[in-house]
Amino acid sequence: MSIIQQHTAASLSDAWRTINIDALEEDSSVNFDTSTLHPALPEISEADVRQINTQVRQLLRGGDAEGALRGSLEMPVYNGSDLAKETHLHTVIEVLQSIKASEMTPMLQRIYGTPGGSECLDVLMKYLYKGMAATSAADGSSSAPRTPTRMTPQQTGFSQVGGRPGGANESTGGAMSVLLSWHEKVVEVAGLGCIGRCMTDWRKV
Amino acid sequence: MAAPEVHHLFHNPIADHSFSADRKTLAIARDTTVELYGKVGSAFKLKDELKGHDKTVTSVDIAPNSGRIVSCSQDRNALVWEPSPQGVYKPTLVLLRINRAATFVRWSPSETKFAVGSGDRVIAVCYFEEENDWWVSKHLKKPIRSTITTVAWHPNSVLLAAGSTDAHARVFSSFIKGVDARPDPGVWGERLPFNTVCGEYMNNSAGWVHAVAFSPSGDALAFAAHDSSITVVYPSGPDLPPKAIISISTQLLPFMSLIWNGEAEIIAAGYDCEAFRFKGGVQGWQLSGTLEAKGRPGLGEGREESALNMFKQMDLKGKTKDDTQLKTVHQNTITTLRPFESSGAAVKKFSSSGVDGRIVIWHT
Amino acid sequence: MSQSLRPYLQAVRSSLTAALCLSNFASQTAERHNVPEIEAQTSPEVLLTPLTIARNENERVLIEPSINSIRISIRIKQADEIEHILVHKFTRFLTQRAESFFILRRKPIKGYDISFLITNFHTEEMLKHKLVDFIIQFMEEVDKEISEMKLFVRFSPPNITCNGGPGLTDITQLNARARFVAESFLTPFD
Repeated sequence: MSIIQQHTAASLSDAWRTINIDALEEDSSVNFDTSTLHPALPEISEADVRQINTQVRQLLRGGDAEGALRGSLEMPVYNGSDLAKETHLHTVIEVLQSIKASEMTPMLQRIYGTPGGSECLDVLMKYLYKGMAATSAADGSSSAPRTPTRMTPQQTGFSQVGGRPGGANESTGGAMSVLLSWHEKVVEVAGLGCIGRCMTDWRKV
Repeated sequence: MAAPEVHHLFHNPIADHSFSADRKTLAIARDTTVELYGKVGSAFKLKDELKGHDKTVTSVDIAPNSGRIVSCSQDRNALVWEPSPQGVYKPTLVLLRINRAATFVRWSPSETKFAVGSGDRVIAVCYFEEENDWWVSKHLKKPIRSTITTVAWHPNSVLLAAGSTDAHARVFSSFIKGVDARPDPGVWGERLPFNTVCGEYMNNSAGWVHAVAFSPSGDALAFAAHDSSITVVYPSGPDLPPKAIISISTQLLPFMSLIWNGEAEIIAAGYDCEAFRFKGGVQGWQLSGTLEAKGRPGLGEGREESALNMFKQMDLKGKTKDDTQLKTVHQNTITTLRPFESSGAAVKKFSSSGVDGRIVIWHT
Repeated sequence: MSQSLRPYLQAVRSSLTAALCLSNFASQTAERHNVPEIEAQTSPEVLLTPLTIARNENERVLIEPSINSIRISIRIKQADEIEHILVHKFTRFLTQRAESFFILRRKPIKGYDISFLITNFHTEEMLKHKLVDFIIQFMEEVDKEISEMKLFVRFSPPNITCNGGPGLTDITQLNARARFVAESFLTPFD
């Protein structure tokens, strides 16, 4: 009798070859705890985000664009639900779109000069990249960016989240050019170090 | 300020370099060998090759008094090269007991120990065991979670600072009974048994730590991380929060190496291919400028091109300027800075080496 | 250069320059190995946050940095069916010759048309700003080339099939054209 006959269907399949055995070992480098790479982050609820949004809009209406920008950047949503993060991104983009091109650089320089200003611009940079990633991911599910955590299995109740970026689709080119020109201005003021910090920082917006 | 002394040795990366105490011998980590250069006139000439590793040599250090050379490599080994009276170096393998690359090695100021950082998430503190006639090691393990990228010794030869890719800079005690004299209590701690963690620091924006260094007094620690920052820590005593942690986020690319010049100045260099000076103290630190002389003689005039040459360039490449050369002395990332000539705590000259195969000696 | 292309390329340039800070880093999982961490993905702490730069929903660049390597993926503008075919032909031609490109990845990552993989060994050998220039120049030229190839197809009336897409003979011509263009890209590293 040939030994091959002793194999069952299960043992013949080569699915076991794809098991990542490193992941099974607790001490393996694959299981690095990335929460050790950032300080403890306070959770920000959707209500808080809406409140910031209202305040920022008030400042914008009052003509204090700089205050609005600062206000939206001083409380980034590092730890919150996807909806809270999404809403805050829209708040930031709203502020950015309402500021005239000629005001960008002087405003950024003023913010950079104040204590904590460097941090503010780092946050702004994170939102610029997030803004570009979010809008470009909105078209076609095939091109979704490689974010393993965002599987979104039947997100009941949040159906409007998926709908919103799609609705904004027609003006993506315009929205992008605003983000791109801000990107250029932020690099001029805060340097390449600012982009570097967007990459190293595990406090993600 | 005098012009820097440039030695372009070859077109390969220099992983690390070290000068002997008399500054006449230069050890270079190049690919899988350690090359020894001797000073001939004003140039450095290759005089010996130490072959013993079979993977990239990551670090090399010459002990100033004994003249022993220690090297470590991605092949997981460290070798101590002992000079014979005839000037021939004999290697001894060190019992590191690590299973991943050895990444960084430095002799302690006492020269009785050296520390080897590794990708095995341990630091091997090595010392010579007379009865076995062998270099053995003890492991600093907790709470390291990723590859050690750099280590630096405290002047007392007991405290050891280490930076790693888990974004933390840490200060450990590497006290080994029978090798070290019991250290005096200081700002980092009073009783210091082996593997005591005297400090653990991380920036909010994280970033792998590329370089660490104690100030000349040993009472402050500076580290450079991949978030383009320099952080200086002033501890206040055992179990007390530090007096100050000052972090300077710069507009520049990350720094790979840093050295102290006295207690009030730090020189750092990295991916911008030039060295920068930071000044300050416990109240605060700031970037004060580059050490690169702008409009250096030799570069400006030498690059002046004839009209014919310019049109040739335009014709061949469609552009007027040949931009294949950087304006800095180093043409690629600077990976190591070392004090070259010191008087007391002040550094008068320092040397830099980088990916471009150059060794440059700078006046501070 | 069009109004919106310049800031787009500028953003790609600065992001790439910041991301191309690589060092020699041996694997933490496999002993005596040194692999591009961005491809291995075995140590989360040595991977950095990926950056997306987008000009609109059809044109974007994804930069995935790590300690010893970065992956750059480009989505090339495809306004219609012909451009889609042209881009496919063009990138296929290039990736089949990846070895003479040094930094070209044989397979683009999902959702993008072409990917590059730059490791610390590339930045050790080649000037970093030249590598960045190469990517930028590639992005500039590729749009131009695709439009030119499209005109090339349009102005060959007998070969246009009834549905407006290119016929078989067009594809052969396109291949020749793509080869010509692609070969001109191979020169920077010679």
